[in-house]
Amino acid sequence: MGVGLSDEEDRKQFAGIVVPHLSEAFVVASWLTGNRTDAEDVVQEACLRAFRAISSFAGVNARAWVLTIVRHTAYSWLAKNRPSEIVAVEDFPGEERLTEQCIGGWSATVTSTPETALLAKLDVRRLEAAIAALPLAFREVLILRDVQGLEYREIAEVTTLPVGTVMSRLARARRRIIGALRTTEE
Amino acid sequence: MSPSDDSQLVHAYVDGELDPAHAIVVGRKIASSPELAAELEQTRALRQALREHLPPRTLPPHLRSRIEAAVGIRHRWTRPSWQALAASIAIAFVLGGGSTWAVLRPAAGDRTAAAVLDGHMRALMAPHPADMTSSERHTVKPWFNGRISQAPRVVDLAQDGFPLIGARVDVIDNTPVPTLVYGRRLHIISLSAIPDEDRGGGAAARRSINGYNVVSWHENGVSYWAASDLGVGELETFAQLFRKAPAG
Repeated sequence: MGVGLSDEEDRKQFAGIVVPHLSEAFVVASWLTGNRTDAEDVVQEACLRAFRAISSFAGVNARAWVLTIVRHTAYSWLAKNRPSEIVAVEDFPGEERLTEQCIGGWSATVTSTPETALLAKLDVRRLEAAIAALPLAFREVLILRDVQGLEYREIAEVTTLPVGTVMSRLARARRRIIGALRTTEE
Repeated sequence: MSPSDDSQLVHAYVDGELDPAHAIVVGRKIASSPELAAELEQTRALRQALREHLPPRTLPPHLRSRIEAAVGIRHRWTRPSWQALAASIAIAFVLGGGSTWAVLRPAAGDRTAAAVLDGHMRALMAPHPADMTSSERHTVKPWFNGRISQAPRVVDLAQDGFPLIGARVDVIDNTPVPTLVYGRRLHIISLSAIPDEDRGGGAAARRSINGYNVVSWHENGVSYWAASDLGVGELETFAQLFRKAPAG
Protein backbone atom coordinates (compact mmCIF):
# COMPACT_ATOMS: atom_id res chain seq x y z
CA MET A 1 0.00 0.00 0.00
CA GLY A 2 1.24 3.44 -0.78
CA VAL A 3 0.22 6.60 0.92
CA GLY A 4 2.28 8.99 -1.09
CA LEU A 5 3.79 12.10 0.32
CA SER A 6 2.87 12.54 3.89
CA ASP A 7 3.27 15.25 6.38
CA GLU A 8 5.87 14.66 9.06
CA GLU A 9 3.34 15.75 11.66
CA ASP A 10 0.82 13.15 10.45
CA ARG A 11 3.47 10.47 10.72
CA LYS A 12 4.22 11.44 14.28
CA GLN A 13 0.52 11.48 15.09
CA PHE A 14 0.07 8.06 13.54
CA ALA A 15 3.02 6.68 15.48
CA GLY A 16 1.58 8.02 18.72
CA ILE A 17 -2.11 7.29 18.18
CA VAL A 18 -2.45 4.23 15.95
CA VAL A 19 0.76 2.21 16.28
CA PRO A 20 0.34 1.51 20.01
CA HIS A 21 -3.04 -0.12 19.24
CA LEU A 22 -2.01 -2.22 16.25
CA SER A 23 -1.92 -5.42 18.26
CA GLU A 24 -5.44 -4.86 19.53
CA ALA A 25 -6.60 -3.89 16.06
CA PHE A 26 -5.32 -7.21 14.80
CA VAL A 27 -7.04 -9.22 17.53
CA VAL A 28 -10.38 -7.54 16.87
CA ALA A 29 -10.01 -7.88 13.09
CA SER A 30 -9.13 -11.55 13.37
CA TRP A 31 -12.22 -12.26 15.47
CA LEU A 32 -14.47 -10.28 13.15
CA THR A 33 -13.16 -11.81 9.93
CA GLY A 34 -12.47 -15.24 11.38
CA ASN A 35 -8.91 -15.69 10.17
CA ARG A 36 -5.47 -14.16 10.24
CA THR A 37 -5.00 -13.54 6.55
CA ASP A 38 -8.22 -11.58 6.20
CA ALA A 39 -7.42 -9.78 9.45
CA GLU A 40 -4.14 -8.59 7.97
CA ASP A 41 -5.98 -7.10 5.01
CA VAL A 42 -8.46 -5.39 7.30
CA VAL A 43 -5.80 -3.97 9.63
CA GLN A 44 -3.76 -2.69 6.73
CA GLU A 45 -6.76 -1.02 5.15
CA ALA A 46 -7.89 0.37 8.51
CA CYS A 47 -4.44 1.87 9.04
CA LEU A 48 -4.64 3.56 5.71
CA ARG A 49 -8.01 5.03 6.64
CA ALA A 50 -6.73 6.05 10.05
CA PHE A 51 -3.71 7.70 8.53
CA ARG A 52 -5.81 9.69 6.12
CA ALA A 53 -8.13 10.75 8.94
CA ILE A 54 -5.44 11.26 11.55
CA SER A 55 -5.93 15.01 11.78
CA SER A 56 -9.62 14.47 12.62
CA PHE A 57 -8.78 12.54 15.79
CA ALA A 58 -10.34 14.49 18.64
CA GLY A 59 -7.69 13.49 21.13
CA VAL A 60 -9.90 11.75 23.66
CA ASN A 61 -9.68 7.96 23.38
CA ALA A 62 -7.16 6.77 20.80
CA ARG A 63 -7.94 3.13 21.43
CA ALA A 64 -11.69 3.53 20.82
CA TRP A 65 -10.97 5.68 17.77
CA VAL A 66 -8.67 3.07 16.24
CA LEU A 67 -11.02 0.19 17.02
CA THR A 68 -13.95 2.11 15.52
CA ILE A 69 -12.06 2.39 12.26
CA VAL A 70 -11.05 -1.26 12.39
CA ARG A 71 -14.64 -2.31 12.95
CA HIS A 72 -15.87 -0.13 10.09
CA THR A 73 -13.24 -1.54 7.80
CA ALA A 74 -14.08 -5.10 8.83
CA TYR A 75 -17.74 -4.50 8.10
CA SER A 76 -16.92 -3.10 4.66
CA TRP A 77 -14.68 -6.05 4.03
CA LEU A 78 -17.34 -8.54 5.13
CA ALA A 79 -20.04 -6.79 3.08
CA LYS A 80 -17.87 -7.22 0.02
CA ASN A 81 -16.50 -10.70 0.64
CA ARG A 82 -18.98 -12.43 2.92
CA PRO A 83 -22.28 -10.55 2.80
CA SER A 84 -24.13 -13.38 4.55
CA GLU A 85 -22.26 -12.49 7.78
CA ILE A 86 -23.88 -9.10 7.96
CA VAL A 87 -27.30 -9.83 9.40
CA ALA A 88 -29.71 -7.04 10.16
CA VAL A 89 -30.61 -6.62 13.82
CA GLU A 90 -34.30 -7.32 13.06
CA ASP A 91 -33.26 -10.85 12.22
CA PHE A 92 -32.53 -11.53 15.87
CA PRO A 93 -35.88 -11.88 17.60
CA GLY A 94 -35.93 -10.20 20.97
CA GLU A 95 -32.76 -8.27 20.27
CA GLU A 96 -33.74 -5.24 22.34
CA ARG A 97 -35.64 -7.04 25.06
CA LEU A 98 -34.94 -10.46 26.43
CA THR A 99 -37.98 -12.66 26.28
CA GLU A 100 -39.20 -14.86 29.08
CA GLN A 101 -38.73 -17.83 26.83
CA CYS A 102 -35.04 -17.15 26.44
CA ILE A 103 -34.54 -16.69 30.15
CA GLY A 104 -36.70 -19.69 31.06
CA GLY A 105 -34.71 -22.08 28.90
CA TRP A 106 -31.54 -20.71 30.33
CA SER A 107 -32.48 -20.92 33.96
CA ALA A 108 -33.63 -24.52 33.72
CA THR A 109 -30.19 -25.68 32.68
CA VAL A 110 -28.18 -23.24 34.76
CA THR A 111 -29.44 -24.41 38.10
CA SER A 112 -28.73 -28.05 37.36
CA THR A 113 -25.02 -27.58 36.63
CA PRO A 114 -22.24 -26.96 39.14
CA GLU A 115 -20.97 -23.45 38.56
CA THR A 116 -17.39 -24.35 38.08
CA ALA A 117 -17.88 -27.26 35.67
CA LEU A 118 -17.67 -24.93 32.70
CA LEU A 119 -14.18 -23.81 33.52
CA ALA A 120 -12.89 -27.04 35.00
CA LYS A 121 -13.43 -28.96 31.79
CA LEU A 122 -12.66 -26.12 29.45
CA ASP A 123 -11.54 -27.08 25.99
CA VAL A 124 -10.03 -24.01 24.38
CA ARG A 125 -10.77 -25.11 20.84
CA ARG A 126 -14.44 -25.54 21.67
CA LEU A 127 -14.48 -22.14 23.28
CA GLU A 128 -12.97 -20.59 20.15
CA ALA A 129 -15.43 -22.43 17.94
CA ALA A 130 -18.34 -21.23 20.07
CA ILE A 131 -17.17 -17.63 19.73
CA ALA A 132 -16.66 -18.00 15.99
CA ALA A 133 -20.18 -19.39 15.65
CA LEU A 134 -21.75 -16.33 17.28
CA PRO A 135 -23.55 -13.93 14.96
CA LEU A 136 -21.29 -10.98 14.21
CA ALA A 137 -23.46 -8.54 16.19
CA PHE A 138 -22.94 -10.58 19.37
CA ARG A 139 -19.39 -11.65 18.65
CA GLU A 140 -18.03 -8.13 18.34
CA VAL A 141 -19.50 -7.05 21.66
CA LEU A 142 -18.14 -10.14 23.42
CA ILE A 143 -14.67 -9.68 21.95
CA LEU A 144 -14.51 -5.99 22.78
CA ARG A 145 -15.59 -6.61 26.36
CA ASP A 146 -14.24 -9.98 27.43
CA VAL A 147 -11.11 -10.26 25.30
CA GLN A 148 -10.11 -6.63 24.90
CA GLY A 149 -11.51 -5.37 28.20
CA LEU A 150 -13.31 -2.27 26.90
CA GLU A 151 -15.92 -0.63 29.10
CA TYR A 152 -19.58 -0.62 27.97
CA ARG A 153 -19.27 3.08 27.22
CA GLU A 154 -16.29 2.48 24.94
CA ILE A 155 -18.00 -0.42 23.19
CA ALA A 156 -21.02 1.82 22.59
CA GLU A 157 -18.65 4.37 21.06
CA VAL A 158 -16.94 1.83 18.81
CA THR A 159 -20.15 0.12 17.66
CA THR A 160 -22.39 3.23 17.73
CA LEU A 161 -24.93 1.24 19.74
CA PRO A 162 -26.77 2.50 22.83
CA VAL A 163 -25.18 1.28 26.08
CA GLY A 164 -28.36 -0.68 26.90
CA THR A 165 -28.03 -2.62 23.65
CA VAL A 166 -24.38 -3.32 24.37
CA MET A 167 -25.41 -4.77 27.71
CA SER A 168 -28.20 -6.95 26.29
CA ARG A 169 -26.08 -8.23 23.41
CA LEU A 170 -23.22 -9.02 25.74
CA ALA A 171 -25.55 -10.96 28.05
CA ARG A 172 -26.93 -12.91 25.11
CA ALA A 173 -23.52 -13.57 23.63
CA ARG A 174 -22.24 -14.98 26.92
CA ARG A 175 -25.30 -17.16 27.36
CA ARG A 176 -24.91 -18.55 23.87
CA ILE A 177 -21.28 -19.43 24.55
CA ILE A 178 -22.08 -21.10 27.83
CA GLY A 179 -24.99 -22.91 26.19
CA ALA A 180 -22.79 -24.06 23.32
CA LEU A 181 -20.07 -25.30 25.65
CA ARG A 182 -22.61 -27.25 27.64
CA THR A 183 -24.28 -28.76 24.58
CA THR A 184 -21.08 -29.99 22.99
CA GLU A 185 -19.98 -31.39 26.31
CA GLU A 186 -22.85 -33.85 26.49
CA MET B 1 -37.58 -4.40 36.82
CA SER B 2 -38.71 -7.53 35.02
CA PRO B 3 -36.89 -10.83 35.61
CA SER B 4 -35.17 -10.57 32.23
CA ASP B 5 -33.84 -7.14 33.13
CA ASP B 6 -32.44 -8.56 36.35
CA SER B 7 -30.71 -11.29 34.44
CA GLN B 8 -29.06 -8.76 32.14
CA LEU B 9 -28.06 -6.60 35.05
CA VAL B 10 -26.16 -9.55 36.50
CA HIS B 11 -23.78 -9.12 33.56
CA ALA B 12 -23.41 -5.41 34.18
CA TYR B 13 -22.87 -6.30 37.86
CA VAL B 14 -20.07 -8.76 37.05
CA ASP B 15 -18.49 -6.17 34.76
CA GLY B 16 -18.55 -3.51 37.45
CA GLU B 17 -20.64 -1.29 35.21
CA LEU B 18 -23.44 -0.50 37.68
CA ASP B 19 -23.47 2.61 39.80
CA PRO B 20 -23.13 1.87 43.51
CA ALA B 21 -26.86 2.18 44.27
CA HIS B 22 -27.86 -0.27 41.53
CA ALA B 23 -25.01 -2.59 42.40
CA ILE B 24 -26.39 -2.92 45.92
CA VAL B 25 -29.91 -3.63 44.64
CA VAL B 26 -28.71 -6.20 42.11
CA GLY B 27 -26.37 -7.76 44.67
CA ARG B 28 -29.32 -8.33 46.99
CA LYS B 29 -31.38 -9.88 44.22
CA ILE B 30 -28.56 -12.23 43.37
CA ALA B 31 -28.25 -13.24 47.00
CA SER B 32 -31.92 -14.17 47.12
CA SER B 33 -32.17 -15.89 43.75
CA PRO B 34 -30.36 -19.16 42.99
CA GLU B 35 -30.95 -18.62 39.30
CA LEU B 36 -29.32 -15.21 39.27
CA ALA B 37 -26.51 -16.54 41.46
CA ALA B 38 -25.93 -19.36 38.98
CA GLU B 39 -25.82 -16.91 36.11
CA LEU B 40 -23.36 -14.78 38.04
CA GLU B 41 -21.02 -17.72 38.63
CA GLN B 42 -21.26 -18.97 35.04
CA THR B 43 -20.53 -15.52 33.73
CA ARG B 44 -17.54 -15.10 36.03
CA ALA B 45 -16.18 -18.46 34.92
CA LEU B 46 -16.63 -17.56 31.26
CA ARG B 47 -15.02 -14.17 31.68
CA GLN B 48 -12.03 -15.77 33.34
CA ALA B 49 -11.79 -18.42 30.61
CA LEU B 50 -11.86 -15.77 27.89
CA ARG B 51 -9.28 -13.65 29.65
CA GLU B 52 -6.85 -16.37 30.57
CA HIS B 53 -7.25 -19.32 28.26
CA LEU B 54 -7.77 -18.01 24.76
CA PRO B 55 -4.55 -18.33 22.77
CA PRO B 56 -3.20 -14.86 22.00
CA ARG B 57 -3.60 -13.68 18.44
CA THR B 58 -0.43 -11.76 17.91
CA LEU B 59 0.09 -9.13 15.31
CA PRO B 60 2.40 -10.54 12.64
CA PRO B 61 5.65 -8.54 12.84
CA HIS B 62 5.81 -8.24 9.08
CA LEU B 63 2.43 -6.53 9.12
CA ARG B 64 3.64 -3.96 11.62
CA SER B 65 6.75 -3.30 9.55
CA ARG B 66 4.69 -3.00 6.40
CA ILE B 67 2.32 -0.53 7.99
CA GLU B 68 5.10 1.54 9.47
CA ALA B 69 6.93 1.55 6.17
CA ALA B 70 3.75 2.49 4.37
CA VAL B 71 3.15 5.60 6.42
CA GLY B 72 6.81 6.49 6.42
CA ILE B 73 7.70 5.53 9.97
CA ARG B 74 10.94 3.77 9.27
CA HIS B 75 13.19 2.04 11.73
CA ARG B 76 12.26 3.99 14.77
CA TRP B 77 14.99 2.19 16.62
CA THR B 78 17.87 3.51 14.52
CA ARG B 79 20.23 6.04 15.95
CA PRO B 80 18.99 9.23 14.27
CA SER B 81 15.43 8.82 15.45
CA TRP B 82 16.61 7.98 18.96
CA GLN B 83 18.52 11.22 19.00
CA ALA B 84 15.29 13.00 18.17
CA LEU B 85 13.58 11.04 20.90
CA ALA B 86 16.30 11.84 23.36
CA ALA B 87 15.68 15.50 22.68
CA SER B 88 12.00 15.12 23.41
CA ILE B 89 12.77 13.14 26.54
CA ALA B 90 15.13 15.86 27.65
CA ILE B 91 12.21 18.25 27.46
CA ALA B 92 10.05 15.82 29.40
CA PHE B 93 12.82 15.66 31.95
CA VAL B 94 12.75 19.39 32.46
CA LEU B 95 8.98 19.46 32.69
CA GLY B 96 8.89 16.42 34.95
CA GLY B 97 10.90 18.14 37.64
CA GLY B 98 11.00 17.15 41.28
CA SER B 99 11.44 13.84 43.08
CA THR B 100 13.19 11.02 41.30
CA TRP B 101 14.11 12.94 38.20
CA ALA B 102 16.68 14.79 40.26
CA VAL B 103 18.65 11.64 41.08
CA LEU B 104 18.86 10.44 37.49
CA ARG B 105 21.68 11.31 35.21
CA PRO B 106 19.58 12.54 32.32
CA ALA B 107 21.74 11.77 29.33
CA ALA B 108 22.59 8.25 30.46
CA GLY B 109 19.02 7.60 31.59
CA ASP B 110 17.56 8.74 28.30
CA ARG B 111 20.00 6.63 26.34
CA THR B 112 19.14 3.64 28.47
CA ALA B 113 15.39 4.19 28.12
CA ALA B 114 15.80 4.39 24.36
CA ALA B 115 17.92 1.25 24.29
CA VAL B 116 15.50 -0.65 26.52
CA LEU B 117 12.60 0.31 24.29
CA ASP B 118 14.76 -0.62 21.32
CA GLY B 119 15.07 -4.14 22.73
CA HIS B 120 11.39 -4.30 23.54
CA MET B 121 10.34 -3.25 20.04
CA ARG B 122 12.76 -5.57 18.33
CA ALA B 123 11.32 -8.37 20.42
CA LEU B 124 7.77 -7.42 19.46
CA MET B 125 8.68 -7.61 15.80
CA ALA B 126 10.45 -10.95 16.20
CA PRO B 127 8.48 -14.18 15.96
CA HIS B 128 8.65 -14.47 19.75
CA PRO B 129 9.15 -11.75 22.36
CA ALA B 130 11.40 -14.07 24.38
CA ASP B 131 14.37 -16.26 23.40
CA MET B 132 13.34 -18.86 25.93
CA THR B 133 9.76 -19.41 26.97
CA SER B 134 8.79 -20.54 30.43
CA SER B 135 6.39 -19.42 33.11
CA GLU B 136 8.54 -21.09 35.77
CA ARG B 137 11.00 -18.80 37.48
CA HIS B 138 13.21 -21.72 38.54
CA THR B 139 13.64 -22.51 34.85
CA VAL B 140 14.09 -18.94 33.70
CA LYS B 141 16.79 -17.95 36.18
CA PRO B 142 19.29 -20.73 35.35
CA TRP B 143 18.81 -20.06 31.64
CA PHE B 144 20.92 -16.92 32.08
CA ASN B 145 23.88 -18.96 33.36
CA GLY B 146 26.69 -18.76 30.85
CA ARG B 147 24.91 -16.04 28.91
CA ILE B 148 25.51 -13.19 31.30
CA SER B 149 27.60 -12.75 34.40
CA GLN B 150 24.80 -12.13 36.87
CA ALA B 151 21.35 -13.71 36.77
CA PRO B 152 18.58 -11.25 37.60
CA ARG B 153 15.99 -11.45 40.32
CA VAL B 154 13.03 -13.38 38.90
CA VAL B 155 9.68 -13.25 40.63
CA ASP B 156 6.37 -14.95 39.99
CA LEU B 157 3.55 -12.44 39.50
CA ALA B 158 1.04 -14.74 37.81
CA GLN B 159 -1.30 -14.42 40.80
CA ASP B 160 -1.40 -10.70 40.17
CA GLY B 161 -2.20 -11.06 36.49
CA PHE B 162 1.34 -10.59 35.19
CA PRO B 163 2.41 -14.10 34.15
CA LEU B 164 6.06 -14.73 33.39
CA ILE B 165 6.47 -15.54 29.70
CA GLY B 166 10.19 -16.06 29.34
CA ALA B 167 13.53 -14.33 28.98
CA ARG B 168 16.01 -12.97 26.51
CA VAL B 169 19.32 -11.11 26.50
CA ASP B 170 19.26 -7.53 25.21
CA VAL B 171 22.32 -5.49 24.40
CA ILE B 172 22.27 -2.12 26.10
CA ASP B 173 25.29 0.21 25.96
CA ASN B 174 27.27 -2.62 24.36
CA THR B 175 26.58 -4.80 27.38
CA PRO B 176 24.42 -7.93 27.35
CA VAL B 177 21.74 -7.56 30.01
CA PRO B 178 19.11 -10.00 31.22
CA THR B 179 15.56 -9.16 30.19
CA LEU B 180 12.51 -10.87 31.61
CA VAL B 181 9.32 -10.97 29.59
CA TYR B 182 6.00 -10.75 31.41
CA GLY B 183 2.48 -10.70 29.99
CA ARG B 184 -0.58 -8.66 30.81
CA ARG B 185 -3.66 -9.77 28.89
CA LEU B 186 -2.38 -9.45 25.31
CA HIS B 187 0.35 -7.00 26.20
CA ILE B 188 4.01 -7.74 26.67
CA ILE B 189 6.28 -6.19 29.29
CA SER B 190 10.06 -6.30 28.88
CA LEU B 191 11.95 -5.90 32.14
CA SER B 192 15.69 -5.35 31.76
CA ALA B 193 17.95 -5.58 34.82
CA ILE B 194 21.10 -3.52 34.35
CA PRO B 195 23.86 -3.75 36.96
CA ASP B 196 24.57 -0.25 38.23
CA GLU B 197 26.45 0.03 41.51
CA ASP B 198 26.66 3.81 41.47
CA ARG B 199 23.13 4.65 42.40
CA GLY B 200 21.07 4.24 45.51
CA GLY B 201 17.47 3.11 45.65
CA GLY B 202 14.60 5.38 44.80
CA ALA B 203 11.06 5.80 43.63
CA ALA B 204 10.16 4.79 40.10
CA ALA B 205 10.59 7.20 37.22
CA ARG B 206 8.46 7.09 34.14
CA ARG B 207 8.90 8.07 30.54
CA SER B 208 6.55 7.96 27.60
CA ILE B 209 8.03 7.43 24.16
CA ASN B 210 5.90 7.14 21.04
CA GLY B 211 3.02 5.47 22.77
CA TYR B 212 5.22 3.17 24.82
CA ASN B 213 5.80 3.61 28.50
CA VAL B 214 9.07 2.99 30.30
CA VAL B 215 9.17 2.79 34.08
CA SER B 216 12.54 2.53 35.82
CA TRP B 217 13.75 2.14 39.36
CA HIS B 218 16.90 1.19 41.18
CA GLU B 219 17.52 -1.23 43.98
CA ASN B 220 20.43 -3.26 45.35
CA GLY B 221 22.88 -2.18 42.70
CA VAL B 222 20.59 -2.92 39.79
CA SER B 223 18.62 -0.56 37.55
CA TYR B 224 15.33 -2.08 36.45
CA TRP B 225 13.69 -0.86 33.25
CA ALA B 226 10.18 -1.97 32.33
CA ALA B 227 8.95 -1.17 28.82
CA SER B 228 5.47 -1.84 27.44
CA ASP B 229 2.57 -0.45 25.49
CA LEU B 230 0.50 -0.89 28.64
CA GLY B 231 -0.91 2.23 30.25
CA VAL B 232 1.50 3.86 32.67
CA GLY B 233 -0.82 3.04 35.59
CA GLU B 234 -0.69 -0.69 34.96
CA LEU B 235 3.02 -0.60 34.25
CA GLU B 236 3.63 1.15 37.57
CA THR B 237 1.47 -1.44 39.29
CA PHE B 238 3.71 -4.08 37.74
CA ALA B 239 6.78 -2.25 39.00
CA GLN B 240 5.38 -2.03 42.52
CA LEU B 241 4.46 -5.71 42.56
CA PHE B 242 7.89 -6.70 41.29
CA ARG B 243 9.60 -4.62 43.95
CA LYS B 244 7.41 -6.00 46.73
CA ALA B 245 7.69 -9.64 45.66
CA PRO B 246 10.04 -11.87 47.66
CA ALA B 247 13.40 -12.43 46.00
CA GLY B 248 13.73 -15.53 43.91
